Amino acid sequence: MFGYNRRKLLVASVVLATGGLTLSAIPAQAFSPRMEVGVSSTEIKLGMTLPMTGTASPGYNKIPSAVKAYFDYVNANGGINGRKITLIAKDDQYVPTLAVAKTNELLLRDKVFALLSPLGTANNKAVASSVNPGRRRVPVLFVNTGFSGFANKKAYPTTFTILPSYIVEAKIMAEYIKDTFPDKKIGLLYQDDDFGDDALAGFKQAGLNFAIKVPYASGAQGIAGVPATWIQKLSGAGAEVVVLFGVSSATGAALGTAAVLKYGPKWILGSVGGDATTIKALGVPAGVLYNATGASFLPATSDTTDEYVALFQDINKKYNNNAVFDNNVLVGMNTAFVTAQAIKAAGTNPTRRSLIMAIEKSGAKFASAGLTPLNFSATSHTGYAGYWFGTYGPTGDLKPNGGAYTVYTTDSANGAVVKSTYKRPAMPTKGLPN
Amino acid sequence: MYTFINTVLIGITSGAIYSLMAIALVLVWRSTRVVNFAQAGQALLSTYVGYACIQQFNSFWLALIVSMLAGALIGAFIDAVLMRTLFRRVSHGPIAGVAPIIATLGLLGLIRAGLGLFVGNQDVIIRPPVSNVGYTVAGHTLAFSPLKLVIVSTSIILMIALSILFAKTNLGLSLRAAAFSPEIARLAGVRVDRIRTLGWAIAGAAGAAAGMLQTPNGNGSFSPDSLDFSLLLVFGFIAAVIGGLESLIGAVLGALLLGLVLAFVLTYISGSLVFITAFVLLILVLLIRPQGIIGAKRGRRA
Amino acid sequence: MHKIKSTNATRLLFFVAIGVFFFLLSNRVDELRVYQGATLAMYVVAISSLILLTGYSGQVSLGHGALMAIGGYAAALSHEHFGAPIWICFGIGVLAAGAAGAILGTAAARLSGPYLAGTTLALAVGLPSIANQFTILGGEQGLLFDVGFPPESLGPDFTQYKWYFWIAGLSALISIWWLQNLLRSRYGRTWRAIRGNEVAAELCGIHIGRSKTLAFTVSSGLAGLAGALLAMTISTVSPSAFPLALSFSLLTGAVLSGVSTLPGVMIGALTLVATPEIADVIANRIAASESVATNLPGILVSALLILVVLLVPNGPVEQWRASRIRKSANTHR
Repeated sequence: MFGYNRRKLLVASVVLATGGLTLSAIPAQAFSPRMEVGVSSTEIKLGMTLPMTGTASPGYNKIPSAVKAYFDYVNANGGINGRKITLIAKDDQYVPTLAVAKTNELLLRDKVFALLSPLGTANNKAVASSVNPGRRRVPVLFVNTGFSGFANKKAYPTTFTILPSYIVEAKIMAEYIKDTFPDKKIGLLYQDDDFGDDALAGFKQAGLNFAIKVPYASGAQGIAGVPATWIQKLSGAGAEVVVLFGVSSATGAALGTAAVLKYGPKWILGSVGGDATTIKALGVPAGVLYNATGASFLPATSDTTDEYVALFQDINKKYNNNAVFDNNVLVGMNTAFVTAQAIKAAGTNPTRRSLIMAIEKSGAKFASAGLTPLNFSATSHTGYAGYWFGTYGPTGDLKPNGGAYTVYTTDSANGAVVKSTYKRPAMPTKGLPN
Repeated sequence: MYTFINTVLIGITSGAIYSLMAIALVLVWRSTRVVNFAQAGQALLSTYVGYACIQQFNSFWLALIVSMLAGALIGAFIDAVLMRTLFRRVSHGPIAGVAPIIATLGLLGLIRAGLGLFVGNQDVIIRPPVSNVGYTVAGHTLAFSPLKLVIVSTSIILMIALSILFAKTNLGLSLRAAAFSPEIARLAGVRVDRIRTLGWAIAGAAGAAAGMLQTPNGNGSFSPDSLDFSLLLVFGFIAAVIGGLESLIGAVLGALLLGLVLAFVLTYISGSLVFITAFVLLILVLLIRPQGIIGAKRGRRA
Repeated sequence: MHKIKSTNATRLLFFVAIGVFFFLLSNRVDELRVYQGATLAMYVVAISSLILLTGYSGQVSLGHGALMAIGGYAAALSHEHFGAPIWICFGIGVLAAGAAGAILGTAAARLSGPYLAGTTLALAVGLPSIANQFTILGGEQGLLFDVGFPPESLGPDFTQYKWYFWIAGLSALISIWWLQNLLRSRYGRTWRAIRGNEVAAELCGIHIGRSKTLAFTVSSGLAGLAGALLAMTISTVSPSAFPLALSFSLLTGAVLSGVSTLPGVMIGALTLVATPEIADVIANRIAASESVATNLPGILVSALLILVVLLVPNGPVEQWRASRIRKSANTHR
């Protein structure tokens, strides 16, 4: 390629230069969009990046088909203002470099209208600063991470969060523990990165003291012998109540190892690693989970008396090959549900700008399965901010303590934890956006 | 005291698991001078065979044997079809040092993606054949169970049996000769190609045992995306390098050292330090003894 | 052979022409291609660093992703804490990774083959988790590395990605040009002598350990530059941006390029960038199910890797050149 011969090099240089000049002489394509990018008269395209293969994918890889299932249901009922909603999901393997590359493909080639529920803190941060949807005015709806920073409207002007932040979760959990187990020794297992740091900050703010805190390096749960060292430290410190604030695989490893080491404290599971189906799929016997405490902001997946759960289970049957209906599916469908309403609220010819304004204006009134209100406003891009506590049954179903959902809310800052008085409005007819 | 004893037990049992993989890597290295990254993929594939067998006949022990046989066949197949061609085509130049590594990495990816395609990316579960609940001594539960006893004994039996095979039998002599100097061995009438394939087959069986035993020792679930198999490969490889890559006893000792050091660091210093500890330990061992704990002085020339 | 050896001046002219060509091209293609061009240039630098190490000095590294991480973090830290100008940041990235490479290389020079592979593999697995131990490194979400907007003099239509592409492209051109010269120098000959036969090289008075360490250091410095470029294209550095898979894909790229032929480096980089896209297109074309679509890229990359190692182990460029030399030898007989 770099040749041997001077004349050839010269000729090649001339050819290259002329080629370049010719290319630059072709007029740029004239292009004036009448409709917003990603919106046609029949279709609205949304894009999502998340790990669909690789070690971070289990559980999360159920989300795209759940979201698609709800959109298929909407499309089968006439779509939104006559337009079908389609989702293009791309696999980023939980690597920021890939998340940026795939997001660029979504925006620049597939020309999606908005980004939906992109997953992971590091990935979202890389996308926010490199692709910069904020400057491109592309809405990033409902990022799938509990890192509270993304609700900062100044730094991420087009981004909306939906999950309660890790800080909110830790603060509420701390109050619950102080109320329920006042004189017990408390232990904590947490991931030694930002996920865990946020949790530690929340616990500290709520004034909960731990007898022992065990950090683990992300990924180390898969190494033989490592989970046994956690359990040994927790039991050695005599912890009677143990908070597992980690990903599903770490939660599963801790529960399984504790069972073989005959260590049985009162377990409290954080929401990230607390999906019973995922834990059971890891091979942890359901009995281990029995009587543990868990938390959620959506109704329990087994609660068919809830109109949303009933509808979503029905959609799951018809449009999602009757996949196992777990929290990932529920969260995915609920996110799609909120998205459909946002698009509807954005007007008959939605634009990216009108979508953002619609969420800021009426997002707090969107119907959703959530048991706490959505906190969207012109000044707030924060979604849910509350949790209820429940107990896992013998088959691993989470049931609310006391038979009814008692929801506590707070914020990611210094606000107190209060009991919510929110009463969820009835579901719109047939669960379609109104 | 109780914590100390349990830490030792955790170190020994996890070392036993790394050692099964380390033995497999050492066997392939000894017979063909290849660092076999596909070993994790082969173990994964064999474990799937074992899983299918359990589904069919509901017997773990039968499945273990079938999976080891399958592992041996897979290993032999890879050597006979892929590696032999590779060695014929790539015998010299800078690529000769990297080609086998690249080929086995490619194979690892192919096995994973292929399994994802044909059996799906979801988890399947293997339950332990004997109890994994720890023994109780004087009111304390030990980090040692019947299943862990099986794992440790398997590792020791494999090590002793293979050592005897190498040291005392004609077959072992041929294996060593084929690895040490293929040309001379060929002149002496050793069927070098077949003997090397045999080395791959034995390694495949050992890797299958590692996969079949390590899976129920955790929670029992595995999938083509399992982090566990990659980590098993990485830690097995580190153990094998610490042990000197040439000797089976070295591999087992390296694995034990790695297991014990990790258990003590995680218990007494910090749970965050897993990966860094493994790296530092490897560097320290190699700085003091570049040829590993048990390695012939000239053996390290690739 | 009647060929005239090209002079430095004409070679430089050639590189300038390539530069002009790509810069003009970047005005004509859409923004996605420009972004991919920046990634491509980053891979060119990273792969050439590995080619230098493996192809020219005969050492194997499975941990170049970790050295890239060092470069990326050093650049981001110097930008964040000292507000250093962007070019200085890249320089610091190169120096930091080079220094780490010198230390590692000193240890590595004593090791060969599988021992070196094992050490570098452990480095790739172990290093990223350090980011969570020190708050200055920003934990899992990492640090921002914003090289800033393009200068206003380039006009209002000059996009951010074009700016990234210019920086990465220029870095790649300068690196390759410099590397070509280095390989033609005394050092290059020394490395090739060692690669050819260590004992013979030693008998000729070459200090093996020192030369290998030097090769490792230079290669690490280049990897550091690639790391800083990667950090630029995603505007952040975080541990998960440098997974083990990155180190492996660089090796893949090096083999596809032909480990001992620097000119082939574009082929390797292009394959790394294009394969996932080709897999996407195929999956869409055959309207594949989700499990096919998610696993197809893996199957394609792996199969390609095995086939290349088996069929054209020295890389397509080397193969082509060898067959041309054979042909021209026949015609001149």
